[in-house]
Amino acid sequence: MPRNKVQLLFVLCSLCICSAVQGAYAATSRFGGSLVLATSSDPKTFNDIVSTDVNSATVTSLIFEGLTTADPFTLKVIPNLAKSWDVSPDGLQWTFHLREDVRWSDGVSFGADDVVFTFNGLIYNPDIPSSSKDVLTVDGKPLKVEKIDEHTVCFTLPVKFAPFLRAMGQTILPQHCLFQAVKQKKFSFTWGIDTPPEQIVGTGPFMLSEYHPGERLIFKRNPRYWKRSPQGEALPYLDQVIYLIIPDAQAQLLKFIDGELDAASVSGSEYPLLKPLEEQKNFHIHEAGANYDSNFVTFNQNVSINPKTRRPFVDPVKLSWFANLKFRRAIAHAIDKRKIIEILNNGFGQPQNGPMSPSSGFFYDPDVTVYDYNLEKARMILQQAGFKYRRGHETLEDPSGHPVEFNLYTANANTAGREQMAAIIRSDLGAIGMKVNLVPVEFNTLVNKLMSSFDWDMVMIGLSGGVEPHFGQNVWKSSGGLHLWAPRQDKPATAWEARMDEIYDLGAQELDENKRKVLYDEFQRIVADQLPVIYTVLNIDMYAVRNKFGNLKPTVNGGAFHNIEEIYIKR
Amino acid sequence: MKKIFNHNSRIEQAFASFHCNRLSMLCLWVLVILYGLAIFADFICPYSYKDEDRDFSYCPPTAVEFWDHGRWERPFVHGRALTFNSVHRRVYVIDLSRKYPLHFLKGGRLFTVDAPGRFYLWGADARGRDLFSRVWYGARISLSIGLLGVAISFILGLLIGGIAGYYGGWVDRVLMRLCEMFMMIPGFYLMLALRAAVPENFNSVQVYVSVVVILSLIGWASLARIIRGMALSLRERDFVLVAKSLGVPDIVIILKHILPQTVSYSMATLMLTVSSYILAEAGLSVVGLGIQDPVPSWGNLLSDAMGIVPVIFAPWILLPGLFIFIAVMCFNVIGDTLRDALDPMFRD
Repeated sequence: MPRNKVQLLFVLCSLCICSAVQGAYAATSRFGGSLVLATSSDPKTFNDIVSTDVNSATVTSLIFEGLTTADPFTLKVIPNLAKSWDVSPDGLQWTFHLREDVRWSDGVSFGADDVVFTFNGLIYNPDIPSSSKDVLTVDGKPLKVEKIDEHTVCFTLPVKFAPFLRAMGQTILPQHCLFQAVKQKKFSFTWGIDTPPEQIVGTGPFMLSEYHPGERLIFKRNPRYWKRSPQGEALPYLDQVIYLIIPDAQAQLLKFIDGELDAASVSGSEYPLLKPLEEQKNFHIHEAGANYDSNFVTFNQNVSINPKTRRPFVDPVKLSWFANLKFRRAIAHAIDKRKIIEILNNGFGQPQNGPMSPSSGFFYDPDVTVYDYNLEKARMILQQAGFKYRRGHETLEDPSGHPVEFNLYTANANTAGREQMAAIIRSDLGAIGMKVNLVPVEFNTLVNKLMSSFDWDMVMIGLSGGVEPHFGQNVWKSSGGLHLWAPRQDKPATAWEARMDEIYDLGAQELDENKRKVLYDEFQRIVADQLPVIYTVLNIDMYAVRNKFGNLKPTVNGGAFHNIEEIYIKR
Repeated sequence: MKKIFNHNSRIEQAFASFHCNRLSMLCLWVLVILYGLAIFADFICPYSYKDEDRDFSYCPPTAVEFWDHGRWERPFVHGRALTFNSVHRRVYVIDLSRKYPLHFLKGGRLFTVDAPGRFYLWGADARGRDLFSRVWYGARISLSIGLLGVAISFILGLLIGGIAGYYGGWVDRVLMRLCEMFMMIPGFYLMLALRAAVPENFNSVQVYVSVVVILSLIGWASLARIIRGMALSLRERDFVLVAKSLGVPDIVIILKHILPQTVSYSMATLMLTVSSYILAEAGLSVVGLGIQDPVPSWGNLLSDAMGIVPVIFAPWILLPGLFIFIAVMCFNVIGDTLRDALDPMFRD
């Protein structure tokens, strides 16, 4: 009995001491604690040069950094690993002055050699399937990258290239860790998901500490991180960032409500479920604004002949409709965007009219042609184009008497409610007499149809955009692989496609931002006028985050935790 | 010997004992009602299955009212207007100034209200389509797919089982190994694989037919094996030997003398299989590979209820699940009762 009492006393004492120490610590320090987030699938690789998927990129963005980065609020390019840069008067030579205080997470100092290695040794290495080779190839040639001294690098461009600074957000990898792998031609398989975490070395605020496939990723604080807080403290504040791997979005939401996750992204339809819980569950929903992920329909206008069957990829009758601008305009008038937003997202969303999102800021042109929802107008346009109605407005026939019927393909994963959106569009087009068969297929099947087999009529899909219009060149240039409606053309099929090619070439070489804007405004107007793709709605990005984090400044650009190194736990 | 010759009376007897079982008679009546509603869906439902009104997204069930300003009136519904409240939840404000009387037997429908009024007996789906109507139009697909699928796999099973059992030898071996191949693969995966082989640009009728064929291709094997066992013993019986020696063609012996003997067993199996086919169609449609929108089936109606949000805010969209449950239960109870009634061992 006395012994038990002594024990109890001891426990009580130690509890008091603990809380006293913690109290004193909390009053002064922002350090410590962890952030628990969710990701929808395992990363495919930690090798940022060869990775192509979003989930790998989410994870590697904590570990690696680039020379420049974009300010999440102003969208302007700001220094990161490079502290400043100079450009020669002709705009071709860019000299970057690197920060001297940067260390790799294994202690080796960061310098010009790493930058030169990343570009010359990795990105432009013909043996490595690098995902950013295309963006960093200007006018068909690579950039010339030279080391001037330990902390100065010089880039020489073949021609002027306006998005150059933004492209310098390219992550830099350590030469001293990867040199051997490149030499042995094993780089593409290096830093895969089976690599021991301590071997993955970066300059970012966190480093990988544990990876349990299908379960979780644990990142720990990088004590050598270079960034300092305004008070001069070594960032980051958090000790740990944990990503739980939860494939199902619904399950993520439930785990967030249960308190297992610190943040979750919220769609418009989930908002009424979460918003009333804010007080009770101690979180807040941040509305960041319209996102960059477009949702659109497009028609197959591929005129080429299938070399296997020696017949056109698209039935000539259907092609005559799809290539008809009036047909596409009628469809643009028939899509009820307002109701799509209301039905799918409880009113959270914006109709999209042009190819860029309002969140793109400077280059976004709001004055493009808007096609209002008007079935009468749609029918009139069709009739002007020679289409005829049978049985009231029930069935539409083309000028030569073929009933208008085609297939609308979409991915069955229902990303962002796209399958439901396609179902709504299907019935909208039914209202103007078109018989549309909705065909949900696997996402990979859909991509295969768009990229190689070309056996589709109409597709509902989306692309993610960004701030810099030039990075959409793969879509908008007639030679581009993602020029969905008629990909990889030898020469542009129409005058407006030729003009878009020109705009993209001019825009890349124009260094005056205002003159660039004039060009890209013209591009946005061409797309809205010619309707190669018909945009529907943009969703609003919303993040529900637990009320315990300080320095939280969510933006649509970087998400809720773009400034993860500055985020701390309020005590 | 005796049992075989009083075959007809045995079935009569079985039906008599079925008749006495209250539960299975109840189930039978429930099924009759379900099929009746499905057949007369055009008449019973106030709207067509694709009639949508987007101003009534997830509109809750509409109350029918009789009482207005202190006096009785013919049944009517009030107008409703969609608004979003402060947390962006759908709220339907009842507009007392607008009244829409219920019309009976108007325009070939049992009951309707005049536009712009809408009458949602069981609420609406995301696009404001009447769930009541969609459930009964969907019943046409879900209830018929089971029967048609069973009919095809029944014919296949009986024929293949009969032939295998009657001929025996290598015919038997080849056919039974074929059966085993089908039985070896887990049903749902086989179904997915077969569905993947169907061209994706089929229209709704073609999809319906292909789903029926896929279901029946999965179900025939187990029936065939049992029929084969029965045929194997039946072919040694005297009446088969007599028919053989009289020179009756084999196929006639199988169809006329062997298969009728297996009817008692197969009748019960048939009933139990229908329910599994209804479930299989629902499973296929829930994962988006069955009947495609806008044509409803109980499965694809239920797929709308796959998220937390719709189930919390519009729980009525779970109703199709209830009907799947009821139909499957009924077929199972009837099948069980029939099997017991027809099983001589059990009766003796």
